[in-house]
Amino acid sequence: MDKQQRIKEWQEKTAQSMNRFPERKERFHTSSDIEVERLYGTEDEHYPMESLGLPGEYPYTRGSQSTMYRARFWTMRQYAGFGSAEETNKRFRYLLDQGQTGLSVAFDLPTQIGYDSDHSMSRGEVGKVGVAIDSIEDMEALLKDIPLDKVSTSMTINAPASVLLAMYIAVAEKQGVAPEKLSGTIQNDILKEYIARGTYIFPPKPSMRLITDIFGYCQEFVPKWNTISISGYHIREAGANAAQELAFTIANGLAYVDAAIEAGLHIDDFAPRLAFFFNAHNQFFEEVAKFRAARRMWAKLMKEHYGAKNPKSWQLRFHTQTGGSTLTAQQPDNNIVRVTTQALSAVLGGTQSLHTNSRDEALALPTEDSARIALRTQQILAHETGVADTVDPLAGSYYVEHLTDELERKANEYIEKINQMGGAVAAVEQGYMQREIHHTSYETQKKIESGQEIIVGMNKFSIENEPQPELLRVDPTLGEKQKEKLQALKAKRDQNRVSAQLESLRAAAKGDDNLMPIIVECVKSYCTIGEICGVLREEFGEYTGV
Amino acid sequence: MKKTIRVLIAKPGLDGHDRGALVVSQALRDYGMEVIYTGLRQTPEQIAAAAVQEDVDAIGLSCLSGAHNELFPEVMRLLHEKGADDIIVVGGGVIPWEDIPFLESKGIQKVFTPGTPTIETAKFIEQAVYKRDGITEEVFSGVAPERIDHIGIAVKSLDEALPFYVNVLGLTLEAIEEVPSQKVKVAFIKIGETRLELLEALTAESPVAQFIEKRGQGVHHVALGVTNIQDRIDEMKANGIKMIHDAAVPGAGGASVAFMHPSSTHKVLFELCEKTKSKEEAK
Repeated sequence: MDKQQRIKEWQEKTAQSMNRFPERKERFHTSSDIEVERLYGTEDEHYPMESLGLPGEYPYTRGSQSTMYRARFWTMRQYAGFGSAEETNKRFRYLLDQGQTGLSVAFDLPTQIGYDSDHSMSRGEVGKVGVAIDSIEDMEALLKDIPLDKVSTSMTINAPASVLLAMYIAVAEKQGVAPEKLSGTIQNDILKEYIARGTYIFPPKPSMRLITDIFGYCQEFVPKWNTISISGYHIREAGANAAQELAFTIANGLAYVDAAIEAGLHIDDFAPRLAFFFNAHNQFFEEVAKFRAARRMWAKLMKEHYGAKNPKSWQLRFHTQTGGSTLTAQQPDNNIVRVTTQALSAVLGGTQSLHTNSRDEALALPTEDSARIALRTQQILAHETGVADTVDPLAGSYYVEHLTDELERKANEYIEKINQMGGAVAAVEQGYMQREIHHTSYETQKKIESGQEIIVGMNKFSIENEPQPELLRVDPTLGEKQKEKLQALKAKRDQNRVSAQLESLRAAAKGDDNLMPIIVECVKSYCTIGEICGVLREEFGEYTGV
Repeated sequence: MKKTIRVLIAKPGLDGHDRGALVVSQALRDYGMEVIYTGLRQTPEQIAAAAVQEDVDAIGLSCLSGAHNELFPEVMRLLHEKGADDIIVVGGGVIPWEDIPFLESKGIQKVFTPGTPTIETAKFIEQAVYKRDGITEEVFSGVAPERIDHIGIAVKSLDEALPFYVNVLGLTLEAIEEVPSQKVKVAFIKIGETRLELLEALTAESPVAQFIEKRGQGVHHVALGVTNIQDRIDEMKANGIKMIHDAAVPGAGGASVAFMHPSSTHKVLFELCEKTKSKEEAK
C-alpha cells in the first residue's frame, strides 16, 4: 500500500476509535502554547514505514495503541502484599484510595511453592515476601470489599498459578461476579522460574501442561484474563543485560506458543491473551529501545512465523517494573531518582502498566511512606511532565532507532542459538540461559568492584555513618497465627468432600484432561494449596535444578 | 595461601534469589578458596549436614526473603549439636540493619549487606579462618611505607635517555649526582609527588651494569619511602624477608637506603628509602 494512503487510513481509523476512547484533552499543548500533535515523523518523505509502522499497527514499534497515553495513562500497578490476607487487604484499599488503578498481589514463598503455612519447609517464610494464602478463606479475606468486576488484578504466581486463579474465580463467584467479567493477569511463567527466580515445583513437562490447561480454560470461561505474563524482569534481576533479557523472554514466549499449539489450541485463540513483563534498568536509551524492539520482534514472529491472523495476536503488551537490583542500600533516598529515570524509560517505551519500586527495597519490605513516594513518582510523570502527550516521542532519534535495531539483532542471535538447542525448554534443561546470565552478572560485579562502573553512593560519593531509615516489620507471630487459622479450617470443613476432590484431581493428573475445572472444585471444597500441590507433586514429581 | 579454605555457600529456606550467592561463590573461588554451592531451598538440617560432611572451614548463608532471623540461628543450633562450632558462619542478603546484632548474638560472625565488595567477604573469611587455626604470621604489625619515593630506571647513558624525559615528556630534571656506594650516576626527574631516578653505571661492577647486561635497560627498582629505616629493616628480617643491606647505606640526595632481595618480594627489587627532612619541610 502506498505510504500516504496508509497514513490516511490510520488517521481515519484513529478518529473512529477516538469516538469510543476519547483522548484525555481536547487539545494538547506545551507551556509556550506549542500545539502537541498526536504523532510526529510521518510527514517525512523518508519515514521508515516498514520498520516503524504506525502506532497500533504492525509491527507496533511505535506502540500498541494508536493514541497511546493521550487516551489513557498506563495502569499504575504497585506490587504489594505482606503478612496476613487482612493486612494486605488494608494496603490494597489504601493504594486504591491513593489513585492506584490496578492491584498486584505478592504471595509469600510457601504459597508460591505450593506449601501450606504449617509445612516444615515454610518455617520462617510465612507472610514474609508477600501474603500467605492457604485456602479460599484467605483469598476471601484478601479481596474483601474490592469490586472484582471493576479492578484488574495481577497475581505473581507461577507453579501453582492454576490454584490461585481457581481461588480468584471462586471468590468472585461468591461476590456475584461471573468469570467472564474478570480481568487480570497471572504470571504463570515457569521457564523463567527455572532460569532465574526459583519458585518452581514440577518438572518442565507437566508444568507446561498446567500452563496450556490454563490457556484452554480461560479462552472458554475467563476470556478477559491474561493467562501468562512472560517475564524478562527476573532474568534481568538475576544479572542479564538488556539484550539477554529481551532474547530469553521472547524465546520463552515462543516455547509457550509451541506448547499451546501442540496441545491443540489455535494461535489466534490464545495469543491475544499472552502478556509480557519487562524490567527497566538504568541505561536510559537502551531500555526505551528494548521495549520498542520487543514489540517489533514479537509481531514479526507471530505474523510471519506462526501465521497469526488476528492483530491482537501480534501485539506484545507488557507490564514494567523498575530494576530492583539497581537499588542501593547506601543513601536509599537516591533510589527515588533511579526509579524516576527507569520509570520514564518505560513510559517512553510504551508500557501498558508500571510498578515503581520503593526506595528502601534493598533494605527490607517498603514502608507505607516509601510505597506512596513510589506511586507519586508515576503520577508526577503522568500529570506534570507532558511526556505522555504525544505517541512514541523518541522515534526517529538516530541513536534510539540504532539501539532498537541492534538489540533486535543481538536478541535474534540468541534466539537462533536457542532454537538450535531445541527451544527454550531444552536450553533451560541444559542450563544455557543460566550460564549466560551468571557470566554477565559476574562481569558486572567485577566492573563495579574495580570502579569501572560507578554506582553513586556505593562505590563513589559514599558517606560515612549513614542514618538508619525506618523499616517495615512483618508481625513475627504471623506464622503461628496462620497455622492456627489453617488448623481451624481443617477442623470445620467437610473432610470427605476434600478427600474425594483430591482423589479426582489425582485421577485427572494421571490422564490428560484439562485440570482447571477440577482444581476449581478442589478450592471450593476448601482443599488447601498444599494439599492440591501435594497431590500434583506425587503425580508429576519435583524439579530439582540443573 | 597457607591452606586451601573450604567454604559452603548455602541458600536456606524457599528464597530463589541466588545471584548474590553465585557471585560470591565465584569470587571466593577466584580468590583461591574451594567453594561448594548447595543450590536453592535447603533446610537448616541439610546445610549443617553438608557443612560437616564436606568438612568446610566456613559457611556463607544467603537469604533475601526475610526468613533470616529464624533460619540462620537454626543453622547455628544444628552446627552446635553436631559439635561443629568451629565452622565460621557469615551471612548476606537483604538483612535489615536492626537484625544484625541479633544474628551476631547467635554466633553469625559477620553479616554482609548489599553493596559489599566480594573481596571484603573473602578477606574476612580468610582472616577468621586463620585466626581460628592460629595462623598469625600473615597479620601485619609493623609500620607501612608511606609513599613511592621514586622509581629507578636503568639506562645505558643518561645523555642519551634524558632528552626523552625532558624534551619529549616535558618533565623537570631536578639534579644529577654520583652515588659511590652503588657505583652509579643518577638523574632525578620530578613527576608529581614522586620522582623517576635514571641510573647509569659508573663501572662494570656496578649492580646497574650487571642488571643491564642480564636484562637490558628498563625499570630497575621501586623505592618505598619510610621513616626509622633501621626499624623497618629489622621488621622485614623478622618477617623472613632477605635483605641485600642489613643496615642502611647512603643513597642519592642524602637519603639512607636498603635494598630487599627480589627472591623474597615476588621478583620486584624494592628499596627502602628514608630522607632526612629538608629545611622547608622541617619548618
